[in-house]
Amino acid sequence: MTIEFRDLHKSFGAQHVLRGLTMTIERGEVFFIIGTSGVGKSVTIKHLVGLLQPDSGEILVDGKPVHGLAEREYYPLRKRLGMVFQHSTLFDSLTVLDNVALPLRKHQRMRMSAAREAAKERLAVVQMERYADRWPAELSSGMRKRVAIARTLTLEPQYVLFDEPTTGLDPVSARRVDEMIKRLQTLDVTSVVVSHDLTSIFTIADRIAFIYQGQAHIIGTPEQLRAADDPIVQQFISGRSDGPMETPGF
Amino acid sequence: MSRTRDIRSADSPPAPPASAPDPQRVALLLRPPLLVGAAALGGARVARGIASLFAGTLLRAINRQSERGAVAEQMFNIGNRSLFFVAVTLGFIALVSVFQVCLQLNRVTGDLSKVGLELIKLMVHESAPSLTAMMLATRVGAGIAAEIGSMVVTEQVDALRMSGVDPVSYLILPRFLACLLMTPVLAVFAFGVALGSGTAMAYVAFGVNPSIFVDFSAVTAADVGIGVVKCFCFGAAIPVVSGYCGLTTFGGSEGVGAATTRAVINASLAVLALDLLLTVAGFMLFPPSAA
Amino acid sequence: MIARVGDVVIGVTREVGGIGVLMLQVLRALLPWPSMDARELWRNLYRMGVKSLPIILATAFFSGAILVVQSGIFVRRFGAEGLLGWATGYSTFREIGPILIALMFSGRVGSNNTAELGTMTITEQIDGLRALAIDPIRYLIVPRVTAMMVMLFALTVFGDFVAILGGALLGQVVVGVDTSVFWHSLFSNLGTWDLVHGLVKSVFFGLVISLTSCYFGISVRGGAVGVGRAVNASVVASAIGIMVTDCLLTLLMK
Repeated sequence: MTIEFRDLHKSFGAQHVLRGLTMTIERGEVFFIIGTSGVGKSVTIKHLVGLLQPDSGEILVDGKPVHGLAEREYYPLRKRLGMVFQHSTLFDSLTVLDNVALPLRKHQRMRMSAAREAAKERLAVVQMERYADRWPAELSSGMRKRVAIARTLTLEPQYVLFDEPTTGLDPVSARRVDEMIKRLQTLDVTSVVVSHDLTSIFTIADRIAFIYQGQAHIIGTPEQLRAADDPIVQQFISGRSDGPMETPGF
Repeated sequence: MSRTRDIRSADSPPAPPASAPDPQRVALLLRPPLLVGAAALGGARVARGIASLFAGTLLRAINRQSERGAVAEQMFNIGNRSLFFVAVTLGFIALVSVFQVCLQLNRVTGDLSKVGLELIKLMVHESAPSLTAMMLATRVGAGIAAEIGSMVVTEQVDALRMSGVDPVSYLILPRFLACLLMTPVLAVFAFGVALGSGTAMAYVAFGVNPSIFVDFSAVTAADVGIGVVKCFCFGAAIPVVSGYCGLTTFGGSEGVGAATTRAVINASLAVLALDLLLTVAGFMLFPPSAA
Repeated sequence: MIARVGDVVIGVTREVGGIGVLMLQVLRALLPWPSMDARELWRNLYRMGVKSLPIILATAFFSGAILVVQSGIFVRRFGAEGLLGWATGYSTFREIGPILIALMFSGRVGSNNTAELGTMTITEQIDGLRALAIDPIRYLIVPRVTAMMVMLFALTVFGDFVAILGGALLGQVVVGVDTSVFWHSLFSNLGTWDLVHGLVKSVFFGLVISLTSCYFGISVRGGAVGVGRAVNASVVASAIGIMVTDCLLTLLMK
């Protein structure tokens, strides 16, 4: 029950984003992938569910390769690996309740009324049941994020991938999302979180991979990261603008 | 529960977008009459806005508040954008109409010698101006609305006004003059393409000799006059209608898409309505005499 | 100049190929049995059909009215007032009705559709569907294609009717041909085939518009500006598609 990346390479045009990424994510942990913007964090997790394909290298989920499959072969995988997008990506044309009910209707062949009942329970878990009849456009970004999490959890995935779950949220909403991610551990869910929110990193992460120049620069617990005498890591976690780190585009 | 309420008041959700329809709330039966009523009211407001924009543009045109360079640039844009499009669409329309007319006439009289004569007359005073204008309403109208609309939502139009530049003379007037001048040019070009493809179809499918088909003898001065007047009217209507749709864009980047749609629809409807008006006027002023 | 023509040819080939691939994907999504999301279908039928009814009816009225006055010119020239209904009906049913209604439908519904799918693409809602293991072709595209084909057909039926009414009205008022003469000429000279000819076309126009607008919607790149560009390209490509399809169908059906 692990996720393994082996020597992953990915380019977009002339931009060589991932250059030999290798790391392993263990079962049941809250694993953070951190780094500066544009370093390829989101790109990494999109490879896991086949939204992107690697140029070379291997990705193994539970020991089975998950790269180079046809779109339809990803569907069983995606039911086990849920993803919460950065901008929540609720479907504009459906109400909050119907957004959550959609995967239930599609995959568990539930009738509309049954799916709505089940969706209401899921919404209660993220304390959004009072907004069930609202449209996504009427919600704040924090509320949308909670609905997106509820929608992802409907398929009872073993892994949940979070793409910058706290970016753009106010501090209170951000901590509530952090709590939700941590609580997933009790359901035996492995969380992979892409983030550069230092508060989240040092409150809920079990292990952290720091991505720099397309590779896992350092992997370790929050304590190990704090104690690391690596000038680049220290520059990142102290948030200084001057230092040895090369940030493309700035 | 109280925590949820706290969060809600801390970041109160934005008001629902005005355009978000809720089909379940309103009884389906009530909708058509409501729609018609709303359309009529909205239509009156839009018509007033378009009329005042047209008047404003004319006023500025008389005062010569436009740079020649800007007009030339817009003329190039319009021509460049629509030459290929107009050629393809008008070419195919001519193919089909010659085919349909010849097919039907073959059944009735079998005399195809007058087809070219009559179709050319029709093209001069009707088809070439109006179909070209329909295509321009789609191509150029959408382009104008998208350009001006994205300037509105990115607050560039406000920036223009802050720096003392009048948006109508800076944005609308060059497009208005350019479209006014380019529509007749493109209509003549479209006429040429349609004549070519129509002649080819008549020759290939029905064996009508091109020297018989291409016959301008039925075209009168009145036909040419009506055609030219139509071109100028359509050329004036398209940029004003779509410019109005662009200037009244609201609602961020999605609003630009909506404005583009409105521009295509309103400009096309304007062309059709003007065409009906001018056709009837032409029919009254120059009553057709027996051949 | 030659380079530009080359660019155009390459561009057109790529778009046509993309639309063809999309059509194959739609057909494949109908296998092994054709099923689609009923709610999504119903929503699209409603907003594509009911919402564009006023515009379509206005278009139909104008086109019928223009046609009758144009035909009036020939009718007067040849002194054949008994042929007015036939000429108007023939051109409305076979060509002008289906084409103009399809053009307006493309402007209203097709461009809306491109904008909606484009916005869904750039806000990653399509990827969101894929991440939930829902096939976007089956869930989003198939209902839209179906709805557009059904609705354009239905709107053309309504539109033909209104166009003929408009024609009869202006035939009486402007051309001075009595409505009873108009109706007689219409019914005695036109067969069901003339009506069916146009309606068959409208179904294919619906297919062309829906595939084109969906293709340009889901292949949007480059943020909000890209959506605007895609809408523009989609309307233009649909218009060309309608004309080409019309030509092919006319030659095929006679």
